[in-house]
Amino acid sequence: MPGSTDPRFAALDPCVHCGFCLPACPTYLATGDEADSPRGRIVLMRALERGEIGAADPALTQHIDACLGCRGCEPACPSGVGYGQGLEAAREILAERRGIAPAARAILTVFSNRLFWRTLLTAAGWFRATGLPARWASGTRLGFGMGMLASTRRHRVPRSFPGFHMPHSAPTVALFRGCVMDTVFRHVNEATRRVLEANGYRVVDINGQGCCGALHEHAGDRKGAESLARQNVKAFGGRANYIVVNSAGCGALLKQYGHLLGTRDGEHFGSRVRDVSELLAAKGPRQGGPLPLDVVYDAPCHLQHAQKVQAEPLAVLNAIPGLRLRLLPGSDKCCGSAGIYSTLHPDMARAVLDDKIRGIAAASPAPRVVTTGNPGCHMHIGAGLRAAGLHATVLHPVELLDESYRVGGLYSRQQ
Amino acid sequence: MKESLLTGLAAIVGPRWVRHRRAELATYTMDGLPTHESWPGVVVIPGSRHELIDVMKALHASKTPFVARGAGTGLSGGALAEGNAVLVALTRLNHILSVDPASRRAVVEPGVVNARLSEAVLPYGLQYVPDPSSQTACTIGGNVAENAGGPHCLKAGVTTNHVTDLEIILPDGSLARLGSTHGDAWGPDLVGLFVGSEGMFGIACSITVRLEPIPPAVRTMLADFPGIRAASEAVSAIIASGIVPAALEMMDQSCVQAVEASIYAAGYPTDAAAVLLVELDGQPEGVAAEHAVVEPLLRAHGARHVLTAESAADRARLWQGRKKAFGAMGRIAPDLVVQDAVVPRSALPDVLDRISEIRDRYALHISNVFHAGDGNLHPNISFDRRNLELASRVREASREIMTVCVAAGGSITGEHGVGNDKLDYMPLIFDAETLGAMQATRRVFDPGERANPGKVVPIHACREWCASPAARGNGRQQHGSLAEVAHD
Ligand SMILES: Cc1cc2nc3c(=O)[nH]c(=O)nc-3n(C[C@H](O)[C@H](O)[C@H](O)COP(=O)(O)OP(=O)(O)OC[C@H]3O[C@@H](n4cnc5c(N)ncnc54)[C@H](O)[C@@H]3O)c2cc1C
Ligand code: SF4
Ligand code: SF4
Repeated sequence: MPGSTDPRFAALDPCVHCGFCLPACPTYLATGDEADSPRGRIVLMRALERGEIGAADPALTQHIDACLGCRGCEPACPSGVGYGQGLEAAREILAERRGIAPAARAILTVFSNRLFWRTLLTAAGWFRATGLPARWASGTRLGFGMGMLASTRRHRVPRSFPGFHMPHSAPTVALFRGCVMDTVFRHVNEATRRVLEANGYRVVDINGQGCCGALHEHAGDRKGAESLARQNVKAFGGRANYIVVNSAGCGALLKQYGHLLGTRDGEHFGSRVRDVSELLAAKGPRQGGPLPLDVVYDAPCHLQHAQKVQAEPLAVLNAIPGLRLRLLPGSDKCCGSAGIYSTLHPDMARAVLDDKIRGIAAASPAPRVVTTGNPGCHMHIGAGLRAAGLHATVLHPVELLDESYRVGGLYSRQQ
Repeated sequence: MKESLLTGLAAIVGPRWVRHRRAELATYTMDGLPTHESWPGVVVIPGSRHELIDVMKALHASKTPFVARGAGTGLSGGALAEGNAVLVALTRLNHILSVDPASRRAVVEPGVVNARLSEAVLPYGLQYVPDPSSQTACTIGGNVAENAGGPHCLKAGVTTNHVTDLEIILPDGSLARLGSTHGDAWGPDLVGLFVGSEGMFGIACSITVRLEPIPPAVRTMLADFPGIRAASEAVSAIIASGIVPAALEMMDQSCVQAVEASIYAAGYPTDAAAVLLVELDGQPEGVAAEHAVVEPLLRAHGARHVLTAESAADRARLWQGRKKAFGAMGRIAPDLVVQDAVVPRSALPDVLDRISEIRDRYALHISNVFHAGDGNLHPNISFDRRNLELASRVREASREIMTVCVAAGGSITGEHGVGNDKLDYMPLIFDAETLGAMQATRRVFDPGERANPGKVVPIHACREWCASPAARGNGRQQHGSLAEVAHD
């Protein structure tokens, strides 16, 4: 392809149009339409860059918007095309010229304000507790939303435990609590704290933190993302050796705060961020008690592609004796959740998900648990399983490890 | 005309599957060889065999030309449409219709991706042998149309040897069955005629293929050489020994370096002038005996090291590098042209010398990656098309390379087909009468000349060419039959 003049698009230059990325792209697999493929979108981005097709062209925006941003196409590309970089540049141009869609704007406003999201998500948690979402979960659009909420349900509650004795030299970690994780997935945050302590990390609390800004950044609202990033950088300051996060989508952006803000503080923040699986894998992690379960792991795109964290979640799961862990074909493909994508493009999101659900339904023996480390994927896959009438439950890998530690008695005695 | 056709097509496949807006068409203007670009009138993506048949009938009724398209990985500009021609994308017809492990047959829709088929039959211990390097992306329909080859086609034969029968939709929308699933069909080999016809005879809508058992023993060797000539002499020596390896592939230094810089790095030595990949398969004793012959041959011809892959994972890694080599060349420069000439294997060392000489004379960056065992060369020229002077040097050098190959007794395409990229070369190997016979054959299937118009047979060039006695003097009649156009 002819070289680029805008440096932001230069990452697309090596594309030779070979097509190796096509089968790696969930939206192309769902539609078979090259306009929904990485190669096709690269053509569109180049046309946008050169001004051959305008930012207001509805066909162009439709197909760029329909990209999940999962970057599954990058590891398939022998030429090393930086698809993600090109997409970021294209989305910025689109956001500049046509603004952000009202539906997306509304969602982003909620997540920009702590009071808004906390109220809304806490209410969602109460609604979940009524059991109605689980009952109303189905394949319809509303039912799917109910299924998403229902799949956040906490499944087993480990009793409170006396706590671990920690030597003074223990590395300190500050938990990034997030928004969704701190409300409907609060139990995962609690499990994260317990398993980290069990592996010798001292967990400290940080007040004044907010949403990471990833949703804003994906939608092209860079200002919104920057303002949230500044707030978080200030809140965490220089405290703790590591900043630990259990949501892959948040982690991917937190690690990029230096790039986003272009400041020293941002850089210092980003360099200390770790996915919880990275910290655990660095310690082994400790073995727990047996959980004889059929489990399939599904890799979140923001963990495997954006953060290049691939082996660590498996190391966490392998610390659980008796767990029958499998990777199904396509476990490395995007589920279609992709932040607020599933809300904005429900049809494509479902089409992409259907492939995965079919794979899970066909697996023998049938898995009891699907495990994945990102709240969006968790809810999207959970709702898909419910809509298909499957009985598998979605859990964060940390929840499984936590349960294994409980069964193994790690929490029942002073350690 | 366009409005009514659009409505008609939308009524068949649903409006979502008729693409006509400019931005959408833009994504269909190229195939795997982006130096050619042309805009289709409409793209239609039927979702079932039924819809496909109705689409073809509608196109016939409105006398609209059409072009079939699989994954668009073709390397000769074959799957491009222009003017009011409709591109019929077959990617949604991607079902494996049946697998019969006992008689080793599978029936597939045309949009099934090559590698998916082999994955699907793996549980039966079977495989679909033809493995073009693009196999993770390209479709079986596209393979049939191009008579695709691949590294493992040296011993086992190319696509045409693995297709037993076809159901095709003729350009007028009627159906025809060619060949027979078990045993030979009566009469002329119509499957052989259709395979390699590059979309000129209609659309293959159901394809029955042969499956082969996975060989019990496989050994893959990586040999690296200090000179290209030494490596190509080693190839000739292996073939002369009477052993037919399962695969015999060569990559030169430039190609190796591009692969090693990519995520598909296979551990090829980047300081070697050329590397050979040699694979032997069959029964364990046979493979061991052949290994005992081939390895010393490689060393005798100057191989610095010969490494034998022990595990399946090591073999897969060695092959990944080779198969992604073409894609990896985007690292060298933004544009790429690839040639597909075939030369007699004995001529390989001399032809490669000539290509190096042409490269130096035109000051170009050429990487060689090819099916050495078949004598099927793929010189890749890297360049930047914005540099017009460079682009014209590339064109001239390409033509000169092609002329050298033809003069050595070779042909203009081994497996990528003629498409529109090699139209101009056709008169190098076929005379006017032969080209006329090809055109006549085409009209048997497609009297209206609506299927993939303007490709493969250079009608215009041919007339002009016939008019010029000087040009006639240059033409060499080499091949006479249609089948050989794409089947070399
Ligand atoms: C990186 C790379 C490596 C490659 N390596 C090889 C190789 O090793 N060997 C090799 O042979 N080729 C190779 N190719 C070329 C290409 O992949 C093959 O020609 C392949 O068969 C094309 O399949 P496709 O589905 O992409 O077809 P397309 O490119 O979409 O179409 C190719 C031609 O087939 C016609 N066609 C498609 N489907 C049908 C149908 N159902 N009925 C009738 N006509 C149809 C089209 O009209 C067109 O003329 C390579 C290409 C790339 C990019
Ligand atoms: S795999 Fe890479 S080089 Fe090939 S078409 Fe996709 S982005 Fe372009
Ligand atoms: S980022 Fe994901 S959805 Fe977008 S083109 Fe790449 S693979 Fe497809």
